[in-house]
Amino acid sequence: MNFTIEKEVFLKGLARVQGIVEKRNTIPVLSNVLLEGADGELRLTATDLEVGMQSTYPANIRKPGKVTVSAKKLYEIIKELPDNQVSFNAKENCWIEVECGKAQFNIVGLSADEFPNFPKSDKGQFVTLASSLCKEMIEKTFFAVSQDESKYNLNGIFCQLQENTGHLRLVATDGHRLSMIDKSIASTASPQLSKGFILPRKGILELKKLAEEGEGELQLHFMDNNAVVSKDRTVIIMRLVDGEFPDYSRVIPKTNEQQATIAVGSLLHALRRMIILSSEKSRGVKLNFKNNLLELSSSNPELGDAREELDIEYQGLDLSVGFNARYLLDILQVQDQDKICMILKDNLSPGLVKPIKEDGYLAVIMPMRL
Amino acid sequence: MKTILHVDMNAFFAAVEQQSNPALRGRPIAVTGSEQRSVILTASYEARAFGVKTGMTRFEAFERCRQLILVPANNRLYTHVSTEIMALLKDYTPLVEIFSIDEAFLDLSGSLRLFSGAERIAYLIKSRIKARFGISCSIGIAPNKLLAKLASEQHKPDGLTVFRSTEIPGLLENMPIQELCGIGRRLGRQLQGLGIFTCGQLGRFPLAVLRKKYGVIGDQLHAMARGIDRSPVVPEESSAPIKSVGHSRTLRDDLADRQAICAFLLQLAEMVGRRARRYQVSGRVVTLTVRYADFTTLSRQQAQADYLAGSEEIYRASVQILDSLALEQPVRLLGVRLSDLRFKTGQLPLFPLERRQYMLTEARDCVNDRYGDFTVMFGSLLEQKGKGSHVISPAWRPQGVRNVAVQ
Repeated sequence: MNFTIEKEVFLKGLARVQGIVEKRNTIPVLSNVLLEGADGELRLTATDLEVGMQSTYPANIRKPGKVTVSAKKLYEIIKELPDNQVSFNAKENCWIEVECGKAQFNIVGLSADEFPNFPKSDKGQFVTLASSLCKEMIEKTFFAVSQDESKYNLNGIFCQLQENTGHLRLVATDGHRLSMIDKSIASTASPQLSKGFILPRKGILELKKLAEEGEGELQLHFMDNNAVVSKDRTVIIMRLVDGEFPDYSRVIPKTNEQQATIAVGSLLHALRRMIILSSEKSRGVKLNFKNNLLELSSSNPELGDAREELDIEYQGLDLSVGFNARYLLDILQVQDQDKICMILKDNLSPGLVKPIKEDGYLAVIMPMRL
Repeated sequence: MKTILHVDMNAFFAAVEQQSNPALRGRPIAVTGSEQRSVILTASYEARAFGVKTGMTRFEAFERCRQLILVPANNRLYTHVSTEIMALLKDYTPLVEIFSIDEAFLDLSGSLRLFSGAERIAYLIKSRIKARFGISCSIGIAPNKLLAKLASEQHKPDGLTVFRSTEIPGLLENMPIQELCGIGRRLGRQLQGLGIFTCGQLGRFPLAVLRKKYGVIGDQLHAMARGIDRSPVVPEESSAPIKSVGHSRTLRDDLADRQAICAFLLQLAEMVGRRARRYQVSGRVVTLTVRYADFTTLSRQQAQADYLAGSEEIYRASVQILDSLALEQPVRLLGVRLSDLRFKTGQLPLFPLERRQYMLTEARDCVNDRYGDFTVMFGSLLEQKGKGSHVISPAWRPQGVRNVAVQ
């Protein structure tokens, strides 16, 4: 294979696959990117067998063919080249020659035959999502995805089409807090969508990056146990998390006993101040709700303590409750309205947070003992 | 130059017993573990005169001394007295390193002027301990921990030995190497094999040979023989965080029956879980130790999917390890240990089932804190006798996670 390509185009393509390639290097070819040249197009493919990505870029293909090479090394090389045409030449025994201006590199690759097969998508029935909507829905739920690899069924976002409203719902939880969003989509029901599925953490990150790249629509469909998302000339395929998502509806409080209305900006900044003196292990901050007043406080036996008062709208009973300030900040950081509603029962029951004007979003957060 | 003081209670357990029961004073007594199969833990100086030593079986001890009085250990009393004595030592410097239940190092470098010198502090400590607890102690004063400990060993009971830096080379020249803290019987014999009997000889021995044989320990041995020790006195508050929580116990009878072993593991798991929860840690690695009747001992550990602190979870993990072993002989000792610890934060679980479990454990601990361990317990533990810890571990400390309540 032999081709020339604009440096910027090549670099962008290689940058996109960096998040996908296997870092643990258990199977060497998985840390490589597959380059295939044909019909005036260069196709780049990377996979770790869980999440894969394939996209095509315009290139001047002088001799078609395919080869694989370390995605990281090739990216590092291309990044440092001058803005110019890059010439790429695959020679015998998978040796690759990269030339740009007067710089020349010879690197060894692996045969394309060793690279796992990237499934051909059939594009049967698919769901269309606006990029901006997809980005918003992921942003508002992703932070609650569990980081604990042992809780594999919580290592992703649960997606399901709500039959009664026709809304698409995304839910994430780590067993301490939960974040959920419902948004209407123009779509016909499919068995997978109605039953619900869990998108894996790594796949979601790639999906979010794809959604952030310009407007346009994302198309989602399913193949076997995979979700396939395509946009423009890029396809992401991810294996769905094989597990049961917990019955989250039971943890969403139904009664609203003590209800407070709080300005997002002032609570956010107050919490950022309080967290500085919270215990490093727990990040706990105490919230004291009084008549139209919220008193926040934190203390750390090794450092000292902090206190701040906020004017809020609250007519409920006096209530004192501890929360992990990080969890609250995560929620506040993704709000686009200026006020939120905090609905609490007592210091041992889950609290509900949602924007003042219903927009399909809610978060549930479990208190901590301080 | 620092001034380090080492204080060592003489025949601590026996002395405490003789103080609490005047009928035992002046008579040969030996404290044995409260378990049936326990050995001699400490002998009074009267019994030592007959040759009764720590570690002897009861039978061996009676062979030496017919009129020996055996006293079962009252561990609670010893830990209580130790806690009081250690608190008293802090009157002279905040730098007190508790070395074991009856030994401590004090860094006096900063408080010499306040109390007019190290020897006066030593006399004050000795007289206060004697007046308040009736116990005598031996004290060593030297420029470092190694030498301070060596000094306190010189005169027992009730001694006070000061090593001045100018005398040290002379003192060490003919000092047998086993006298140094850290050179045990095995290492001592190996060194004797190289023709090294005294610290003087060890200090002059070619360092390269020691290094080749013992690696970095070789350097350390060489330094020790010349009286060099740079280790600081580390008070508990600033010592490294604990790495594990564990309990082990010798069984009343050797057990071969799986069910009986499991029942015992449940008890150990409860003890480990309680202590972990009290100090708000949870751990990801569970280790099971099994010692067979012939004293061969094996330990197996397993990383868990999640951080645990619940007694049931620790029990389940240890049974799983047990079932992966093919037991070759009846079991003499069992141990359960939780490691790879992290701090728990007080965060309550969101999902109802986990939350109920969390609250249940919390309520149970609350009752047991108030009314004693094992007040509310697993039904299968009801029949077991003598639950809880019966031996003071060498790592016992008056405060923190290592403060294990003993029966």
